Amino acid sequence: MRPPPPCESFRSDSRVPSRARRSTVSIARTGLGSLIALWLGSLVSLRAETPAAPTPGGKTAPVSFLNEIMPHLTKAGCSSGGCHSKPEGQNNFKLSVFGYDPQQDYNEMVHDARGRRVFFAAPEESLLLQKATGKIAHEGGSRFTENSETYKKLLLWLQQGAPFDGPETPRLSKIEVQPRQVTLNPGEAKPLKVIATFSDGSTRDVSGLTVYSSNDKDLVAVNESGVLQASQNRGEAVVVANYMGIVDVVRPVIPPAKRLSADDFKTFPVHSEADRFVYKRLESLGLLPSGLCSDAEFLRRSTLDAIGRLPTAEEAVAFLADPSPNKRSTWIAKVLDDPNYADHWAVKWGDLIRPNPSRVGVKPVYLLDLWLRDAFRKNMSYDAMVRELLTAKGNTHQDGPVAIVRDKRDPVDASGFVSQIFLGVRMECAKCHHHPSEKWTQEDYYQMAAFFGKMRARGQGISAPISGEAELWWYDPAGKGVTHPITDATMTPKAPDGPEMPYTAGVDPRKQLVDWMVRPDNPFFARALVNRIWGEFLGKGIVDPVDDFRASNPPSNPELLDWLAEDFTAHQYDLKHLMRTIMETAAYQRSSLPNSSNLADQRNYAHALRRRLPAEVLLDAVGDLTGSRDTFSGLHPGARAVQTWNHKLTSEFMDAFGRPNASLECPCERERKPTVVQSLHLMNSTAFQTKLTAPKGRVSAWTTSSKPPQEIVRDIYLSALARPPDATEELAAMTHLTREGAVKAEAVQDLVWALVNTAEFVFNH
Amino acid sequence: MESTLNCNGIGRRNFLQLGFGALGGLGFTELLQRRAEAAKAKGTSTNNINCILIWLDGGPSHYETFDPKPDAPADIRGEFKSIPTSIPGVHFSETIPTLAKIADKFAVVRSICHKDPNHGGGNHYLMTGTATPVPVGCGAVVSFHPSIGSMVSHERGIRNGLPAYVSLPSMSRSGGPNFLGAQHAPFVISGDPSQTSFRVRDVTLPAEISEGRAQSRNALLSSLDRMQRIHEAAAEDPLLGFDQSYKQGFNLLGSQKAQAAFDLSKEPEAIRKLYGQNDFGQRLLLARRLAEVGVSFTVAYWGGWDHHKTIFKTFRDGYAQKLDVALSGLIIDLEQRGMLDSTLVVCLGEFGRTPKVNKDAGRDHWPGAMSVFMAGAGIPGGAVIGATDPKGYYAADNIYAPEDFAVSLYTKLGIDPHQMLHTNAGRPVQLVNGGRPIKELFV
Repeated sequence: MRPPPPCESFRSDSRVPSRARRSTVSIARTGLGSLIALWLGSLVSLRAETPAAPTPGGKTAPVSFLNEIMPHLTKAGCSSGGCHSKPEGQNNFKLSVFGYDPQQDYNEMVHDARGRRVFFAAPEESLLLQKATGKIAHEGGSRFTENSETYKKLLLWLQQGAPFDGPETPRLSKIEVQPRQVTLNPGEAKPLKVIATFSDGSTRDVSGLTVYSSNDKDLVAVNESGVLQASQNRGEAVVVANYMGIVDVVRPVIPPAKRLSADDFKTFPVHSEADRFVYKRLESLGLLPSGLCSDAEFLRRSTLDAIGRLPTAEEAVAFLADPSPNKRSTWIAKVLDDPNYADHWAVKWGDLIRPNPSRVGVKPVYLLDLWLRDAFRKNMSYDAMVRELLTAKGNTHQDGPVAIVRDKRDPVDASGFVSQIFLGVRMECAKCHHHPSEKWTQEDYYQMAAFFGKMRARGQGISAPISGEAELWWYDPAGKGVTHPITDATMTPKAPDGPEMPYTAGVDPRKQLVDWMVRPDNPFFARALVNRIWGEFLGKGIVDPVDDFRASNPPSNPELLDWLAEDFTAHQYDLKHLMRTIMETAAYQRSSLPNSSNLADQRNYAHALRRRLPAEVLLDAVGDLTGSRDTFSGLHPGARAVQTWNHKLTSEFMDAFGRPNASLECPCERERKPTVVQSLHLMNSTAFQTKLTAPKGRVSAWTTSSKPPQEIVRDIYLSALARPPDATEELAAMTHLTREGAVKAEAVQDLVWALVNTAEFVFNH
Repeated sequence: MESTLNCNGIGRRNFLQLGFGALGGLGFTELLQRRAEAAKAKGTSTNNINCILIWLDGGPSHYETFDPKPDAPADIRGEFKSIPTSIPGVHFSETIPTLAKIADKFAVVRSICHKDPNHGGGNHYLMTGTATPVPVGCGAVVSFHPSIGSMVSHERGIRNGLPAYVSLPSMSRSGGPNFLGAQHAPFVISGDPSQTSFRVRDVTLPAEISEGRAQSRNALLSSLDRMQRIHEAAAEDPLLGFDQSYKQGFNLLGSQKAQAAFDLSKEPEAIRKLYGQNDFGQRLLLARRLAEVGVSFTVAYWGGWDHHKTIFKTFRDGYAQKLDVALSGLIIDLEQRGMLDSTLVVCLGEFGRTPKVNKDAGRDHWPGAMSVFMAGAGIPGGAVIGATDPKGYYAADNIYAPEDFAVSLYTKLGIDPHQMLHTNAGRPVQLVNGGRPIKELFV
């Protein structure tokens, strides 16, 4: 126990309530402790042995700090990240986020600030109560009233001497939301109940102290007391109940007004097993799918998605003219063998794993990029790819994947990175505190880190901004491992929801991790990947965001996810097989035009989603259409944007359309929001104007072509949009080209300019 | 606690008690109120104050600019003399004679300091108001927090069709939006505005496109852009946002006021000369023209202030003069136009430089002291705020941290510096952690 605070501090501290200074000693605290009281205007400090707090009508059960006080403080919002749990606390009073460190919180409340937050002589005068009820100016306002359960509980606890729990206090082990299934009518309200189970088997209704949230408040709202409120809309929401860091979810449903049956879906095409799961889901939600897209739409969409370029005019002509009923399948097989495939997917994976060259060096980043492109070129199986990346060792100036080891050299960084990218689990929150809406704890986080705790390095590595010298990385059985930041315990390697895998001399623990990851029954590995790729093609993951798997963010279609994962595993983690499977589905081949029943659907694949082309793809599309490419420093002339290996290569175009910022600490999703900078760039940039007028470009070729204008218009349309113009468009284009006083070169440039600035060009649809 | 210690180890709290404890404690709301009242009296509002931030990348020496130490030993004092300014008792280095003559029009804070001696970390700290959570090397470019410019863009959005945040001629390292999103990244205008061929990219028609041609191809575009839009909000059709971005683009192209702002040739020759006929001078002139039409935050970036070698020669050979002429030109011009009250001008780098001149006649990185130039938006002219010790090692008087600097900027611009933001993952992050306004800027 800390010594009593020096008296001056109290006298000089105006924040101590004046009434407290005037009060006389009336209540003592239990046990041996320091008692500070003010008597006759001067502070005295004495040690006193006092009897237990008065217990009217017999015994009052001791208030548990862990099981009663902490939940009350959490529910009142005291320990939220915006308040006293900010990294610096609030006004010098700091609590752990969501109460992950009760001992620290206890010390902070009872002992820190020289013990002035609690005032045992007059508990109701404690700053803790006075501030929280707003009696003394409190930036967070009044959190509860004197009549509240929270106030009474805190007061009683203070009266009992603010004890900390002993080892005999039962610890919380799980919570359960009841009822498990909730069906609501539009406008209906229904209460939830939350039952906590403790280590001694006892249970308690904690409904009032649970924090609730809904993933779709417009559909089903939930109030502080856990009462669900259905809106007039229909669908399914996810409601999360969080009690002291332990989470349970319930998925209330407002069933569709007009029930559909399997018969309603008879006429819709089933291209694969996946479609059955999609239809099943749509049926339960009362949504009818849109029809299939046109051949031209399919050709453009699939080519952009699979290999990141536009179909050529020749490809479009051939595809549209092909009478074969299997032509879509044939095209899918063909397009996946296109040389652009590797570059396109290397860009996407570069977003996820490419380190900042300032941190790792230019050369290691370049080597990693080469490795990635090669892996996709060879269609290396996904499990082999991940194994090479995660068990990399050797020389940063020779072996691409070692760049990852260097970048995530702190095992603590590696833990969050590997979990998110390869398991689809965002553990980052658990680095510092309980995940706010998931079961992951700091133990989980640091046990995952322990897999990376045995690596050693030699060499200078980097002398920013250049590469410096090579660095060598190897597994060292004598490596120091990883310790828990609060308990200091040495952590045993363990993946989330995986078995403990104690260090074994001579075995790189990272190998054990990958062995576990690539097991066919791994709950995360294949699901995370198929979800990511499905999201790339369909515009939205089955779990969305694609790397955020958790009970409180369930998949929109679990059966579909499981089926895709099983199929992927059964096909030896063959990425091209997976992509082929996805592109074959009717779900992928649907029109992006919604119908009246599925207009609002964003998550169930009732219609295709319109997506702006990514920066590299759009730049290459403009380059292909005009036959004039940008030059990038350090790359060969004619290089495509998808071949840039570093987001720091100068490109106003790609900056405008959003590349990931290589300087960010996290791999972040690309921004797809349209901005005025983008429209201005596409309309007015001198770079684009130069492409339109390039003497050796396609626009000049069209200008000087002896073909009739109608054919030129048709060729431009096929090149830009993979379809011929319809009659209206042809008329408008022809009028522009042949109008009085038109200069042919300018008119052709204008036509290409106009098409590039249409939504149909900028979007994949 | 380390965080309350200042750069040389003096506790902030101790200092407050010794120095001006009695004056402290002006809350943000009170300050805002005061500012609002003052602004009302002058007919401006904080919401209309625009900022021009001049970033001297590398870290300008405080000795050779605003904080000379004529009485220090020669190996600290350096080769330059100090000269009197228009404020009795205040001396600057002889390198900036024009600024010295108008010292009554701006303030210098001599006592901002921190502990990060790396370019990467120092830039991040001053451009965002937040220190990097891990040490960041000199060559590194990192973003852990939204920059001040991005936050201004986030708060104000597009005005008169113009992007709220512009950076000339490139983005400063940590000048990005972080989790605020790419639409709040700076609009970068590269190129050298002192060249006759200079054009602001993208916001004007390319030279070879006449008005008439632009009209006819716009007409062609509207007849060919035929993909169906889904107007029901529930459909969340991204094409509606696309159309909005084109509408904004056309508005900007059609705005004569905005178009004129980009055209430096419209500026009288005398004014162009006032700023100096060089890239930096003309960039500040462009920044003024942008502020004039409502661009909220403009960064003028000038690299190369990392004078590890031959600092005196470099300053003599034009570096100092270029700064002296352009910065004084900007202040004089703003004042003549009556824009100084509504324009906040700030000039700084990531840190000051080492007291002892090194073997290469240069000075190295030194975050223990730096001088920050501030003018306009109600900042009292002629104020010299804080002081370093007699040899210029450390901020010693009225010490301020980068957080205080950021809080002051946000306050001047009418943005609550202590508001809570949320990252994409939902984590709450305070815009500025702690910090208090530099009260001498708010008198």
